Amino acid sequence: MIKFKGVNKWFGKLHVLRDIDLHVSPGEVVVVCGPSGSGKSTLIRCINRLEKFQKGELFVDGTPLHDHSTNLTKLRAEIGFVFQQFHLYPHMTALQNVALAPINVRKMKRADAEALAHEKLARVGLADKADAHPTQLSGGQQQRVAIARGLAMSPKIMLFDEPTSALDPEMIGEVLDVMVKLASEGMTMCVVTHEMGFARQVAHRVIFMDEGSLVETGKPHDFFANPQTDRAAQFISKILTH
Amino acid sequence: MLEGFNFRVIWEYMPFFMEGLRNTFLISIVSLFLALIAGIIACACRLSPWRLVRGLSIAYIESIRSTPLLVQIYFLYFGLPTLGLRVPELQTGIIALMLNSGAYIAEIVRAGMTSVPNGQIEAGIASGLNYFQRMRFIILPQALGVTVPPLLGQAIVLFKDSALLSLISVMELTRVGQTLTSERFMPSEAFFTVAFLYLCIYFVLKSLADWSQKKLIFREAY
Repeated sequence: MIKFKGVNKWFGKLHVLRDIDLHVSPGEVVVVCGPSGSGKSTLIRCINRLEKFQKGELFVDGTPLHDHSTNLTKLRAEIGFVFQQFHLYPHMTALQNVALAPINVRKMKRADAEALAHEKLARVGLADKADAHPTQLSGGQQQRVAIARGLAMSPKIMLFDEPTSALDPEMIGEVLDVMVKLASEGMTMCVVTHEMGFARQVAHRVIFMDEGSLVETGKPHDFFANPQTDRAAQFISKILTH
Repeated sequence: MLEGFNFRVIWEYMPFFMEGLRNTFLISIVSLFLALIAGIIACACRLSPWRLVRGLSIAYIESIRSTPLLVQIYFLYFGLPTLGLRVPELQTGIIALMLNSGAYIAEIVRAGMTSVPNGQIEAGIASGLNYFQRMRFIILPQALGVTVPPLLGQAIVLFKDSALLSLISVMELTRVGQTLTSERFMPSEAFFTVAFLYLCIYFVLKSLADWSQKKLIFREAY
């Protein structure tokens, strides 16, 4: 589904991704973790080309992203992306946020798109908030609307960039519950997160990044119990003790 | 205080004042419309990825903002003929006002566009919306709220600045006052009336600005 082959990226002189090789199969849930600045956000932002990369090959659902002639707009419609800061459109209701892309990208009729949006909002447990504006919603609710917005496009892949990092602790659970449900339904997911409970529960694979390199990859249980590298061991001891 | 005031003369010149008022109004509307177009183009160039286009736009905006409008008017009035372009006073005046306000409007529009957080644009990109759809549904609706009130402020400035065109003998409201002064030597009556008429237009524009502000800010706040 997603195939990185020797992908490299520089921000100016800063080498942020070094020779990334990674293969994600359909239906797989991959958790990416690592210290801040390790390139994990950049890595998943490459998957829908919110970030360009300078060297290497990246195929998403068979589409070559390193090829400049690729129709990125079309590809992005097939990939849901959930941001750390939600980025809901503040001038629209929750329903309009979710229905916008189906109407304009999928060319659905307004009534059909709104029915779809109602269904997706119900799926994230916000059926009663359809007419609320983002500012009237809590952080957790906003993030669930953002997930519904991604799901409304019936994506083949869902990408999550630290979806719970901007949330108050008591709201993290409600967002993770939605993501767990999504994973159990067989969605292909790449999740940048420090929520190790989530990784343990649903991830098929955990990837550890440091300084732009993919340092270690393994099954969650093995990774947490028995990290292969010192760097990963150090990281795990830090996040598990605090 | 107004005992010495000759209202009869004001009344006698009223058709003349009305014509000046109409001209001021028309000059302002036409200049504002053209300035909006100039401003939007200049803003688009200012945000362009090409360095040359961006540089030209910055040169235009900064040179206008750093020089007095009167100097710009004289520059065009005396400068265009030496380039072999014979443009009548009225058109010269409109061009000057357009170029002047266009530079300010470019910055107002730019401030509005850049006030929309980058995350909003990324969210649109990630949903598969194309450039025009992002503009139409995400950026412009949010930019509008912060753009329209200062735009109307600029419209008020433009309308008052049009008085400077009297100095290149365009027959607008201030010029009518000058004419009355020189024909009858009654500067108090002349400019009292002129100022009063400016005030009237100002209040119309001001209430429009207040109304739009309430309307647009309300949309943001709930």
